[in-house]
Amino acid sequence: MSIRTDHPPGVIIHPLGPVPASILQHLAISVQDRCQISCLVGESMENPGYAQDPEREQYSCKRILQQLHRCCTPHSWQVLAVTEIDLFVPILKYVFGAAQMEGRCAVISLHRLRPQFYGDEEDEQLLLERLVKTALHELGHSLGLTHCRRRTCVMYSSTRIDDTDAKMADFCPTCRELFRWRLQGTG
Amino acid sequence: MAEASKKKSFKVVPPGKKKCIWMEAGVVSYKLCDHNFDCQTCSYDQGMQLKVARQRASLTAVPVAQPLPDEFTPTWVEKEMQLPAHRRRCRYMLTGEVDRKICANAYECGNCAFDQMMQDRQQPSQLPVQAHASVGGFELAEGVYYHDGHTWARPEYGGRVRVGLDDFARKLVGRLRQLSIPEVGQAVKQGEAAMELQRNGSRVRALAPVDGIVTHVNYEVLNNPSLIQESPYEGGWLFIIEPTRLRKNLKNLYFGEEAQSYLEEERERLFARVHEDDRIAADGGPSMDDITADLKDEDWSTLVKEFLRS
Ligand SMILES: [Zn+2]
Ligand SMILES: [Zn+2]
Repeated sequence: MSIRTDHPPGVIIHPLGPVPASILQHLAISVQDRCQISCLVGESMENPGYAQDPEREQYSCKRILQQLHRCCTPHSWQVLAVTEIDLFVPILKYVFGAAQMEGRCAVISLHRLRPQFYGDEEDEQLLLERLVKTALHELGHSLGLTHCRRRTCVMYSSTRIDDTDAKMADFCPTCRELFRWRLQGTG
Repeated sequence: MAEASKKKSFKVVPPGKKKCIWMEAGVVSYKLCDHNFDCQTCSYDQGMQLKVARQRASLTAVPVAQPLPDEFTPTWVEKEMQLPAHRRRCRYMLTGEVDRKICANAYECGNCAFDQMMQDRQQPSQLPVQAHASVGGFELAEGVYYHDGHTWARPEYGGRVRVGLDDFARKLVGRLRQLSIPEVGQAVKQGEAAMELQRNGSRVRALAPVDGIVTHVNYEVLNNPSLIQESPYEGGWLFIIEPTRLRKNLKNLYFGEEAQSYLEEERERLFARVHEDDRIAADGGPSMDDITADLKDEDWSTLVKEFLRS
């Protein structure tokens, strides 16, 4: 496993609990292609039982992000955790993903990205599309990008899964420019 | 003089005809209602609403407004109170809604049984909200004007304006223990505190979206504030006013797409405010129905006050 420490900086994807390897591989390739950032799949991390919230019966993004931050390897720019468990942050009923603004860690849940969650047929292609969009979105936040007003931009805030399906797996020209510019700054 | 009287006679409303709410509000100088006050399906009303929305954006010239009738001011109570008790006319007699009725209740309409009966009978029937738009999980009712303090105003039947809390406020204030709203006959002013919301011993005020005199109060919501939780734009309405500066006031409110943009901004602002310490950004679901119940370290009144701008 070699990590590039020169430009552009790298992303390591960690499964948080069991996650199919094929999904993670696909994500790594897609992120690398779309963002021109080196991206690879790192080792599996334990199921985040520590983040369980008894009242909400979901897992706290805040606690997961804190934990990720602690074991963040200094030679990767960004840690992207992917998990099957249902995530939340205060005041939202659930989240597809969360990141720390201008931070080094982000987490994505497959729970509500899976078509089966909505009573639809299993569809790996659709799941992967949703996952890539959510990953790009969270990486955008990590670079300090805020939500975009354009419905088709990947930085548009998804409230429901339909919003995610309606947006492209890409940044609008403005957000892309900002993404590139911020990315330069991190190297 | 001849010119003036000519102008005046021109504006006589024929018997049996009613002024359009836009004439009543002084926005247009002469327009009769030809749609049985069913503004929701009236094309003239829709045109006017668009026009007002556009004027807000472009600040172009507006039609000349007529001075508003001054017949329903807060001082009418004082005037009547100077009369002997047997000559104090009930407000429904003053407005011609009953032939003869003397007030025996010192104009405390809020606890007058007759007033309550009249209100129940005359309550402008609640118009069903035609459509809701969802902005990041917050509902917006169409045909409604929004104040930036998260109260709404809807011009309706007979030129009156119904007032309530918007869905953002509903989720932010959560389960109220009690609320106080102005009494019938009381004057309220746009942007000034008109209501008080109570929860767990804390109080926060909410602002009136338009100027006017309160004509009806939703007694049901006073007894049961959870109606706001059930439907903030329908059963959870708070009071109805006779507007006094509607044309001017509407210019300061958000409508249609502007209301959507404002709500989107407020949603982002609230999320950033709540997560200002952990700096978390998230891609995810609608807000909880009771936002502050989900925040352990946040003081209800501080947060609510900030967003209701009181
Ligand atoms: Zn964008
Ligand atoms: Zn986001």
